[in-house]
Amino acid sequence: MGFLAPWFFAGAAALAIPLYLHLLRRHTSNPQPFSSLMFFEARTQSSIRHRRLRYLVLLALRLALMALLVLAFADPFINRPAASVTTNKLLVLVVDNSFSMRAGSRLADAKREALSVLASRPPAERAQIFALGSGLEAMSQPTDDSQSLQNAISAVQPTDARGNFGDLARGLRSFSDSVQGPIDLHFFSDMQKSEMPANFSDLALPAKVSLTLHPVATSNIANWAVESVNAPGQIWDVKKARVQAVIAGYETPAATRTASLVVNGKTVATQKVQVPANGRANVEFTSLNVPYGFSRCAVRIDSADALPADDASYFAVERSDPRQVLFLHEASDRRSPIYFGDALAASAESAFAMESVPADQASSIQPSRYAFIVLSDVASLPSAFENNLDRYIRGGGGVLIAAGTNLGRVSRIPLFGANILNARYYSNDPTGFLTVGDADPSHPSIAKADRWIGAKFYFAVNVDASGSQVAARLTDGTPLLLDKKIGEGRVLLLTSGLDNLTNDFPLHPDFVPFVEQTAFYLSGSERPAGSQLVGSYLQLRTAKERAVSVEVVDPEGRRPLSLQEATTAQTYQLNEAGFYELRLANGRQDVVGVNADRRESDLAVMSRDALSLWAGKPNGSNAPTAANAVPASLQATEKFAPHSLWWYVMLVMLLTVIAESWVANRHLGVRREE
Amino acid sequence: MQRFLDPAVLARISNLDLIAKTVVDGFVAGLHRSPDFGFSQEFAEYRAYSPGDDLRHVDWNVFARTERAYLKRYRGETNSLLTILLDASSSMNYSSHSVSKIDYARFVAASLFYMAIQNQRDAAGLIVFDDEVRNYIRPSTRFGQLHRLLAGLEHAEPRARTDFAKPLHHFQQFLRRRGLVLVLSDFFEPPENVIRTVEPLRFHGNEVVLFHVLDPRELQPQLGEPVVLVDSETSQRMEVTPEYAHNDYRQKIDAHVEELSSRARGAGIDYFLLRTDRPLDSALAEYLTIRQERN
Repeated sequence: MGFLAPWFFAGAAALAIPLYLHLLRRHTSNPQPFSSLMFFEARTQSSIRHRRLRYLVLLALRLALMALLVLAFADPFINRPAASVTTNKLLVLVVDNSFSMRAGSRLADAKREALSVLASRPPAERAQIFALGSGLEAMSQPTDDSQSLQNAISAVQPTDARGNFGDLARGLRSFSDSVQGPIDLHFFSDMQKSEMPANFSDLALPAKVSLTLHPVATSNIANWAVESVNAPGQIWDVKKARVQAVIAGYETPAATRTASLVVNGKTVATQKVQVPANGRANVEFTSLNVPYGFSRCAVRIDSADALPADDASYFAVERSDPRQVLFLHEASDRRSPIYFGDALAASAESAFAMESVPADQASSIQPSRYAFIVLSDVASLPSAFENNLDRYIRGGGGVLIAAGTNLGRVSRIPLFGANILNARYYSNDPTGFLTVGDADPSHPSIAKADRWIGAKFYFAVNVDASGSQVAARLTDGTPLLLDKKIGEGRVLLLTSGLDNLTNDFPLHPDFVPFVEQTAFYLSGSERPAGSQLVGSYLQLRTAKERAVSVEVVDPEGRRPLSLQEATTAQTYQLNEAGFYELRLANGRQDVVGVNADRRESDLAVMSRDALSLWAGKPNGSNAPTAANAVPASLQATEKFAPHSLWWYVMLVMLLTVIAESWVANRHLGVRREE
Repeated sequence: MQRFLDPAVLARISNLDLIAKTVVDGFVAGLHRSPDFGFSQEFAEYRAYSPGDDLRHVDWNVFARTERAYLKRYRGETNSLLTILLDASSSMNYSSHSVSKIDYARFVAASLFYMAIQNQRDAAGLIVFDDEVRNYIRPSTRFGQLHRLLAGLEHAEPRARTDFAKPLHHFQQFLRRRGLVLVLSDFFEPPENVIRTVEPLRFHGNEVVLFHVLDPRELQPQLGEPVVLVDSETSQRMEVTPEYAHNDYRQKIDAHVEELSSRARGAGIDYFLLRTDRPLDSALAEYLTIRQERN
């Protein structure tokens, strides 16, 4: 038995207080009036002896109370075998199940070692199982039930996610706040170097967490992988389609690999590629002959390494006919269809075919036939067509409105709904024109157009921009390009014309990428080329208020969204590598190829020094290895552990307080009665 | 004032039918027989004349027939004189419950005043004393006497200490007429001093009654632990043990009561112990009953 804070015994001097109060201090009692003392005799000695006799019980209780208080502060303890001590220590086992753990038998080794640590813990010790994939996932609740803990470890499955040890430290920091007592953390991982966070300080764990690392891989393993694929998402002309891929080798010797292009499960092209030692090589397939509709494609290599899961990179391609674009203009305007049509034909890989129609002949046209519609300085539309066009936009359609001098004479932009404040003729200015002063490079219509530098604008309609996003402004602040979402669709407003009269933008080189990107943007055909990474998010709908059901089919053919999620989910996280089938809220079908993050393909492990530093053993002598980590931790638990007795002392003190109160109250009660 | 005249108390005393039957001199005026042969109509006896007798009392008819002079004596009905001596020393202020000794004494005195004046037309007076005479209300049957007496009781607040010897000569001075003298006190004096002080009143033909008013805790003190007691008259402090209070004190106070009672009887003085926890009407009824039987 010992005391954790023996210096508190100095407080034993406080025992003098009750001694002084009871024995040294003169007893005072309240005198009581009486009619006459003629029949009384003083019996002082007898009364004092009696009083001391009775108060000794109270004195003893108070002395005991003070002594127990001092004892509690001194924190007595006894040494008991650690195995028999039921402490509030929590054993936390974290198994890495990131993509790299698919290599060889890493995950199986990690689970086996975790089971071994679990079996060696004291029977009464609670434990909890976590898996580290894209984040820290609890596989069980804190419990001392060995069977459920073993089941939780067995339930850890490999994932395609990219792990990050920073997530582990971050999760443990928040987890430890909700746990009382120390945490004994055991981490079973391949200790992949690429999973280290950018800063080593991000690995810092709370002081109450003791970390024991269990590396299941001690050396680097050679691995080849298809690092990236560059392929179009949509194909209108198979002759123009190209597929480029990068083959990477990690810790590999120079070798020749065979790269194959697989379309819908059939290998359509094969190439040999020389991959330098620990380097990269490019491979290009000049034809992508896929059928109409969506095709599931992959670039695959024959690596015969320990991690075959990264030997293929998936991507989906949609082949379709060119989509129709409706271009409405005033009958007198013959210039703008030419400029816009030529720009559209020169770009967009033959994705669109433009149909030019005068506005007064549009009453019988169904807008839903067109990928998007352009209104070139059209001041008025047939009312029936305008109503159809409005429904078309709200249903997800796209419209580009160019405001020339005709619209400058009206008070409101049709469909877009913005009030026209005034029409500005810059030809009267000393310079004769204005240029673009401010442009949002993140807007799709401007991103590839080099901010329209050099384009001269002689005329612009100044509109009220409230409720819309201004993508570009002239140098005087006049909004030049506005983007507005209406329902599921959107409308772009160019406050100048497309006819080369109100500006020279159609003659400018930036006009072609502007038209191309605007066409893809408004038609919704800007589907990403190549593939997505595991862990990234897909946008399922664009407006919260629409309760249209979406559908997601994962690579295993399951529908992971519940009915409620299907009507409310805005996004969906892609968790597995393979092909996802989507039906989005706007009714469009899509197929997405998903690949694991190729940083997981680099199977290089952390150095022993780094591991020792993380585990808090800087000298490296106790650097955990697969062989010695568990016995070392076991050796620690077999020692004697101090078992504090302060709780029992406090319990006895509580009983003493009750007894003291009872005895003291009896004395006071007698006095009150008298 | 009304608190002294509790109708319930007085009604129960009247129901004892003492008014019609008792002849206690002066206690219930009008119907009580006088302790002296006087000059009223009811014949008592003849006595031979002796020199010095008042010739007006000679029965001349008997003298004419017998030539002997006899005095005719009667049991006359006459108003008596009630005087209450109330001890208003500080010790009378003691109480262990809701009624202090001085209050209890006030109740007794007020009840007796009421009976004497309202019911029996007796003259009644009051002397309030401690170590001197603090208030004196001459016995009278005048209208408003009862109110004066009750007011005198009302103002009899305890103070100072009891001293029977000092106001004695005042008692002698005030009590020139014979009658009933009631002394209400706790008599925390040696019994011989009390009797020696009160006995001269008896010599003047007064009937003296001692009402010994004591609190039950004065007779049987109960102490749970040693306490310091303070004498209410002398402010003397004394630490007292429960054992002494339970044993020795009780023996002493009992001996004191017994001695006072026996000495009073020996001096021809009536003695009644009044405990303040005893119902007032019960105590008075007992007193009157005893007096009725005695007479």
